[in-house]
Amino acid sequence: MQTFLTEDLAVPPPEPPRPPTAGPADWVRRNLFRSVGDGVVTVVAAIVVGFVVFRFARFLFSTGRWEIVRTNLKLFMVGRYPADELWRIVVALTAVAFVGGLIAGFVARRHVVAGTVAPDQPVTRRLVALVGRLWPLVVGVLLLLFLSSSPGPWLTAAAIVVAAVLGRLAGPYLPRRSAVVLVLGSIVLAAALVWFLTRPVGWDRWGGIMLNLFLATAGITLCFPLGVLLALGRRSKLPLIRAVCIAYIELFRGVPLFVLLLLSAIALGFFIPTWLEPPGLVVRAIVVFTLFTAAYVAEIVRGGLQSLPKGQTEAAQALGLSPVKTTFLIVMPQALRNVIPALVGQFISLFKDTTLAGAAMGFLDALQVANAATAQDAFRGQRLLAESLGFVMLLFWIGCITMSRESQRLERTLGVGTR
Amino acid sequence: MRRTFIRGLVPLAALSLVAGACSDTGDEGGEPAPSGSGAAPTTGGTDDTGTTPGSVATGSTPTTAEEVQTGESLLDTVSAADVVRCGVRDDLPGFSSLDDAGEHVGFDADFCRVIAAAVLGDATKVEFVDLETDARFTALQSGEIDVLVRNTTWTASRDGIEGATFLHPTYYDGQQMMVAADAGFESIDDMDGAVVCVAGGTTSEGNVATEFARRDLTVEVQSFEDVDLLQEAFIAGRCDGWSSDGSQLVGLRSSFPDGPDALVIFDDIFSKEPLTPAVRDNDTRWAQAVEWAIYATIQAEEYGITQANVGDMAAGDNAAIVQFLGGENADGVTLDAGLGLDPAFAMNVVSQVGNYGEIFERNLTDLGLERGLNALWGDGGLQYAPPYR
Repeated sequence: MQTFLTEDLAVPPPEPPRPPTAGPADWVRRNLFRSVGDGVVTVVAAIVVGFVVFRFARFLFSTGRWEIVRTNLKLFMVGRYPADELWRIVVALTAVAFVGGLIAGFVARRHVVAGTVAPDQPVTRRLVALVGRLWPLVVGVLLLLFLSSSPGPWLTAAAIVVAAVLGRLAGPYLPRRSAVVLVLGSIVLAAALVWFLTRPVGWDRWGGIMLNLFLATAGITLCFPLGVLLALGRRSKLPLIRAVCIAYIELFRGVPLFVLLLLSAIALGFFIPTWLEPPGLVVRAIVVFTLFTAAYVAEIVRGGLQSLPKGQTEAAQALGLSPVKTTFLIVMPQALRNVIPALVGQFISLFKDTTLAGAAMGFLDALQVANAATAQDAFRGQRLLAESLGFVMLLFWIGCITMSRESQRLERTLGVGTR
Repeated sequence: MRRTFIRGLVPLAALSLVAGACSDTGDEGGEPAPSGSGAAPTTGGTDDTGTTPGSVATGSTPTTAEEVQTGESLLDTVSAADVVRCGVRDDLPGFSSLDDAGEHVGFDADFCRVIAAAVLGDATKVEFVDLETDARFTALQSGEIDVLVRNTTWTASRDGIEGATFLHPTYYDGQQMMVAADAGFESIDDMDGAVVCVAGGTTSEGNVATEFARRDLTVEVQSFEDVDLLQEAFIAGRCDGWSSDGSQLVGLRSSFPDGPDALVIFDDIFSKEPLTPAVRDNDTRWAQAVEWAIYATIQAEEYGITQANVGDMAAGDNAAIVQFLGGENADGVTLDAGLGLDPAFAMNVVSQVGNYGEIFERNLTDLGLERGLNALWGDGGLQYAPPYR
């Protein structure tokens, strides 16, 4: 028996080591032209890729008329936000950058204390690592700065960088137990900033990629807790809670997002009494995105919960932990860690879906700006839709690729798939 | 056992909801019955939903009726909010588009400003709401906008079914056909079996089919959501003809990538398209206020009052003009026409936005549009304002 097993399932003998490669010509021959079929595929693919790259590069550097983007840069970025109130956006971004830096510094210090990160790395090395991490964002911002024709954006960028650096430097000196204060402070700050940005201007003047980012940020922040609660509710032992959660999830997963947005945009007035002031369109959009995405988040989180071995719960119970502690200290952290890729995918999808709100609700979001710009007197009828749509694509790509890369980094830090 | 209990619970909950809704409607339907003929309030009770359904049923007494109307007129709502929400679009050159500062410019946008100047005394107090073609009437019905100035043709069914009240046409338009100059078409009669492209959701779709049927020709109509996409299809040769309101075709032709000479617009006008601002039904006070704001621009042009000379005119010695601009007449009386507008509303309109001719000239002349039907009645056009006295 023993011998049979070892004979049958024995590891096959290792392949003889490959002969050392003899230069690039040999590498090409072995990897691209190993057989006649390989050679044909390689040549065809090279022609197709070369053609696409050539056409794309020609569009980018030669035939593309980017004046439409340069002229309408403010519209693309912030929509119809009044020019003499733009300083409010600068202040808000600077504050966010400072708090972001503060949190980054605080977290880094905790890591050093916990011994997971080596302290005292040289600053240049850390800068290189940071730029390597965020290069799409850095390149994108530099591109936007060079497109702009006024000093304002440069000053804004400088203020943001300075604030972030100051926050990062101050962060490590926060007292050890500031985590709760930081979280609560961020929430208060966010509410204050929204008030600060909208009070004198009004939602209808918001627009451009700023509006897309705001809708996505608000939607993501609000839908996550709701989704987690729904996931727990769907696994609840109480029939009523479970029925409500299932009904909610299946209802919102079963209707198209665009229909929900349209309904809330133009039909809400039929359902609420006339004396009641209906909420603004942006608020309605945030509510729809939150409710809709929460249903998906709930199913993703439920998947994470189901992937955990039952032993985890049982071990926690054996230790005498209460059900609440079991859920939030043992089960949930592991479940969430396992579903980071799916969650971030959902959030990226939400970010891109914010363009639907522009179409359904008449916001002047980045996509609608692309459309409206081609109707301007200076640009109408000149077939510039490719340029303006291409620019919007770039804006969204920068946002999505940054989210994606940061989530991959988070996975590595948390050791997903390795432990 | 427990499973089945839960499974039973969901439909049960739904049922109880339905039952609750039914019993609610039952209450409302039942209550007016004792006060008289139960069928009477069917038209009344829908808009001002039911805090007191009884009062609607007894609404035949003038006091109650007036109360309901004054409480609900958008004129009061707009004055209180100090802003007019105007439904427009952001991608129609000449009528309503965005400049690079993000401001709405164009003929329709200016009429939104006319309304704000008349009602609120300040032409800048407009909140522009960009609407897709399909959503425009729903937005009006549900109260998302106060007035629709979105290049909209006044038709009977829109007046009736869509619950819109159309006011005075700001632009008399008509549908025409545009073809490539080298396509070999001399008139619509040559276009048997042609593919004609139009913008979707508009009256253009039906008009093309009707016109071709009238001439015993076959046609294939293709609809596009977006003008840019339509133009791409036209350039790619997927459309033989491009049909739309004449005003739009002239604008599109003037900015065509291959130059305006590459296109020909046939002279035949095969539909009536009075482009008309609209408000919601059942709000006479608001409708009158908006309507007279529009008339003021036409009356001003008739009087020869322009943005430049309005100050002199107001101080001049033509009594009718002075009265029109809110001044005192010979008896020292200022005319308040009872429209709910400031007596000087015409003054505000003309000084802040301009008269009809100036608005037309500023926005549409560069596109290559002629006054045509939109000249004043004295010049052979259709623009005519009732007397202001």
